[in-house]
Amino acid sequence: MEHTVSYLVLIPLLPLLGALVLGVMHMATCKGRPLPEKIYSILACAGPVLACILALKVYFGLRLLPEEARYLVQDVFTWIHVGDLNVSMGFFADPLSSLMLLFVTFIGTLIHIYSIGYMAKDENFGKFFAYLNLFLGSMLILVLGNGPVVMFVGWEGVGLCSYLLISYYSQDTNNVLAGNKAFIVNRIGDLGFVLGMSLLFWAIGAGGFDYMSLRANAPQITPAIGLAVCLLLFVGATGKSAQIPLYVWLPDAMAGPTPVSALIHAATMVTAGVYMVARFSFLYVEVPLAGSIVAWIGILTALLAATFGCFQRDIKKILAYSTVSQLGYMFAGVGVAAYSAGIFHVFTHAFFKALLFLGAGSVIYAMHHEQDIWKMGGLKEKMPITYATMLVGALALAGCPLFSGFFSKDEILFSALASGHVGIWFVGLLVAVMTAYYTFRMFFVVFHGKPRDQHAFEAAHEPPRVMTVPLIILAVGALFAGYLNIPSIFGGNLQVSHWLAPSLAEHHPHVSIWIEIIAVLTSIMAFAGGIYIAWKRFGVVEAEEPFYTGMANFAYNKFFVDELYHYLIVVPYKFFGQTIWKSIEPYVTDGPVKIAVWLYGALANAFKVVQVGYVRVYAIYMVIGLSVLSIMISRSLNL
Amino acid sequence: MFENILSVMIFLPIVAGFGVLILPVKKEAARAIGLVSAILVVILGIKVFFNFTGTSGLEFAINIPWFESVGVSYNLGVDGISLLVLMAGSCLFPMAYLLLKTKSKGYYANLMIAQGAMIGAICAADMILFYIFWEIMLLPVFFMIGLYGGPNRLPATLKITLYTIAGSLFMLAAIVYVGVAYHAQTGVWSFDIAQLTALNLSGKAATAAFVFFMLAFAIKIPLFPFHTWLPDAYTEAPTAATFLLSAIMAKIGVYAVIRFVLPVFAEDFARYAIVLAYSGVIGMMYCGIAAIAQKDFKRMLAFSSASHMGIIALGVFCMNVQALTGTLYQIVAHATSTGALFLLIGIIEERMETRNIEDLGGIAYKAPIFAVFFAVAMLASVGLPGTSGFIGEFLIILGAVKFNMAIGVLAGTTLIIGVCYMLWMFQRVFFEKSNARTEGFRDLTAIETLTILPLVILILFMGIYPQPFLDKVTPAALKQVASVSAVQQQLADNTVPVVEQTQEKN
Repeated sequence: MEHTVSYLVLIPLLPLLGALVLGVMHMATCKGRPLPEKIYSILACAGPVLACILALKVYFGLRLLPEEARYLVQDVFTWIHVGDLNVSMGFFADPLSSLMLLFVTFIGTLIHIYSIGYMAKDENFGKFFAYLNLFLGSMLILVLGNGPVVMFVGWEGVGLCSYLLISYYSQDTNNVLAGNKAFIVNRIGDLGFVLGMSLLFWAIGAGGFDYMSLRANAPQITPAIGLAVCLLLFVGATGKSAQIPLYVWLPDAMAGPTPVSALIHAATMVTAGVYMVARFSFLYVEVPLAGSIVAWIGILTALLAATFGCFQRDIKKILAYSTVSQLGYMFAGVGVAAYSAGIFHVFTHAFFKALLFLGAGSVIYAMHHEQDIWKMGGLKEKMPITYATMLVGALALAGCPLFSGFFSKDEILFSALASGHVGIWFVGLLVAVMTAYYTFRMFFVVFHGKPRDQHAFEAAHEPPRVMTVPLIILAVGALFAGYLNIPSIFGGNLQVSHWLAPSLAEHHPHVSIWIEIIAVLTSIMAFAGGIYIAWKRFGVVEAEEPFYTGMANFAYNKFFVDELYHYLIVVPYKFFGQTIWKSIEPYVTDGPVKIAVWLYGALANAFKVVQVGYVRVYAIYMVIGLSVLSIMISRSLNL
Repeated sequence: MFENILSVMIFLPIVAGFGVLILPVKKEAARAIGLVSAILVVILGIKVFFNFTGTSGLEFAINIPWFESVGVSYNLGVDGISLLVLMAGSCLFPMAYLLLKTKSKGYYANLMIAQGAMIGAICAADMILFYIFWEIMLLPVFFMIGLYGGPNRLPATLKITLYTIAGSLFMLAAIVYVGVAYHAQTGVWSFDIAQLTALNLSGKAATAAFVFFMLAFAIKIPLFPFHTWLPDAYTEAPTAATFLLSAIMAKIGVYAVIRFVLPVFAEDFARYAIVLAYSGVIGMMYCGIAAIAQKDFKRMLAFSSASHMGIIALGVFCMNVQALTGTLYQIVAHATSTGALFLLIGIIEERMETRNIEDLGGIAYKAPIFAVFFAVAMLASVGLPGTSGFIGEFLIILGAVKFNMAIGVLAGTTLIIGVCYMLWMFQRVFFEKSNARTEGFRDLTAIETLTILPLVILILFMGIYPQPFLDKVTPAALKQVASVSAVQQQLADNTVPVVEQTQEKN
């Protein structure tokens, strides 16, 4: 039983316990004098740090095992056992989950530390960290769960935390609405997940509903059911990972505190969908059609979000759309069956996107909660550390050669091309140009040029060290994470892909070196083209806010998709509710009851007519009755 | 004393209730008596739970002939089907006495009598005995709504009473038919449910009796479209009566379907299950969508409760062990979550003197403990994993997908419909800005906190570690399903495409 270990459960449990302790402490003291922030800070970081250490232990534990049997399991207790359904509260670590574990806990820890500075003097300091710990615990359940049902616990758990943290500043109605939107849209996706999971169970779940049994039984699934399961699960992924048509919640989710945007809405939770598709790669491999649909949805989402990203003016919205766009890339990767490329992009993206968000957080912090890039400018001198680290992040996001984002994005585009999805490759390339453009549009406007708001500029300053150190660490990650998976064309040997290989049902096609070269060269050109346009327009000192008209205005308003959903779904739904309540319920459903009551009354009234109240009339009734009775009796006796 | 434990649980509250009514006791004394009797029932209930072996068949059974000439007996017992319902009926009551204050002792007396009658209906293993308790349990509700309810209590009382009595009369006719049919087939009289299960009923009369039974239970549950008494009754009733109706009485309707209709009318049940299943999901969606239009949050919760009952009832009609177990589990899960919500809302009503959602706001800042408890109950109600609500709902949806894909998809929408109205209500009541009214909202006192805390812990425990409960329920559910699935198979073989199977192989 070398595969059975006893520490896996601790990884999610420690942050969850932290959440409980912090929550109870906060509840107990929130009406009196609050506890010092230091106590909360230490408790809040303890869970993530310990989880991170355990994640390393998992990684080294796996390394010791032979490649073909690299997994660790722990069954804590039988969770739901009804008939054929047997789900244990069990945890499962293999190369895929160990990679996810490493960066989730590592980045999670950094963001906890950063938040100590960012959230300082917040009156609900304890509550914030309780939520953050709860989120991390849920995410770790999602990653470590041994089967779809346990994964779903984390899946919904991160959705809940997302809701709690987006509506964190709940005095403002808009923030709460954004939280509601996130929860409800996620729930729409979850419906797909639950249905997919149920279908999967009835298809092949009777032999065990954990990944290993499912993988062993996967060949038995019929293609039709397989397709249905894959697509339904992907509906879940579109909700959680903000893809068309359910991406609308993520940009609004920026209402939460910035560290939350970094942790949840960039580095961890939103990648759950990609992880899920990679996790079920043994199913997706059986139905290539499902994969193609995933890839196309992904790349179209990437295009749409990049288009919006080019025209936003809120720094967090720009980053939010870039997240949606990059998630689209990841789905394009896993969709064309390049699961390791997709997951690798998840990995590098976690570093540079967390970095960019935290950098944006520093800027917002310095500018006293100003988020409009057209009110910033020239911050380069005022905030050198933020500037330098943001530059690394921006280069990585834009896909500058030698930065992490370049290697991972290039791997996806190359896989698309190699597997014959030329359309996806081409759109991907277009998106790469746009990515470089919007990233540096934001970067130049914020840090270069002249200060556009002199007063705020004067007051701007570098944030405290507790915030800058995580930035520097993340910048190192964003710079070097890509070197873990260097393709052979650059003399590497795809270490991460090899590490992930046992977890994924992936076939590496052998293609000509020229395709690889074409992919690399076009990627570099895309980056160069994008950054060149951005430099031309915004790198100059006098860059002014453009006045958007026509299509640009349309894109600035996100093609009015939100409004469309509002009028097509929300308004009719509420109207339907009103209609049921005001019209259908009283007249249709309750109608028969009312008619029955009325008929009863009418009958009573009809009988009332004969009750006139005069004795002589009753005497006549009696006479008539007696006569009829006598006639009947005499008849029956044959008299 | 184990032989009589169920009788004690039934008659202790009833006797105490009548005692309070007749003897000249004060209001506070009545409350204390109610609390003591409720706690004793809880202790006995827990005893039953832990001594229950789950080896199928009735346990703690007692069978005393009553009207021997027609085979009616005083026949009680607990099995896997009734165990969790019994737990809901016995363990939730102390809170009602602890949290709610009222004007009159009669209120508490009625509460006690209702509890005894409900436990009687749950434990009865004889149809006539069941019918008697079923009728008795309506009376306290009639008095509670009629005497202590809101301003529009009289029409609401009349509606619920007449509606349910009408259903009951149909049931009485059906019970008589079943008894006569048994006599015709075997030559002896019996209303013992274990005996009646052996009946092989078919033909028009049997179908009519099936419909009569279902009518009575559909009204009680309530199933769409027989739910129209519910919003008025739940809204106008005093909190304790709403709690009683939503948390326990509605569940007895579902329980009775599983106990009496499923085994006796297996053939008709299998044939019409699809119709009933649609009634369940449509009711769920209909009431859930109506909930969003409500301004009065008690009425909103009433619709929410009706919506959940639709999904709970659906689990019975899917005729597989996952769905049925899910229903039995959800009966308790929903009792705890909805019970907690109605009690908490009762507290808001008492303190703020309004039930209008628009008048509230910002309660979370004034009363964090209250808000957290409410949130946990709310999340259980929307079926979040980690709370009790998930286990049952998941099992029901899983079973529904097997039963019929369309039903499964519709049932799944409960995930979405629930959060829509709940979050919107939560936003307007707990978040946003507080106003002059909610500024003075007092958080839960120590006693109130300690009263509700066990419920919150139970909600979480049942979500994290449900297996001890499931273990006790599953064997009985398997047995109950086996009887009907044989018939279902037979029907399917006879080329009657009543039950569409999804195409996957198992």
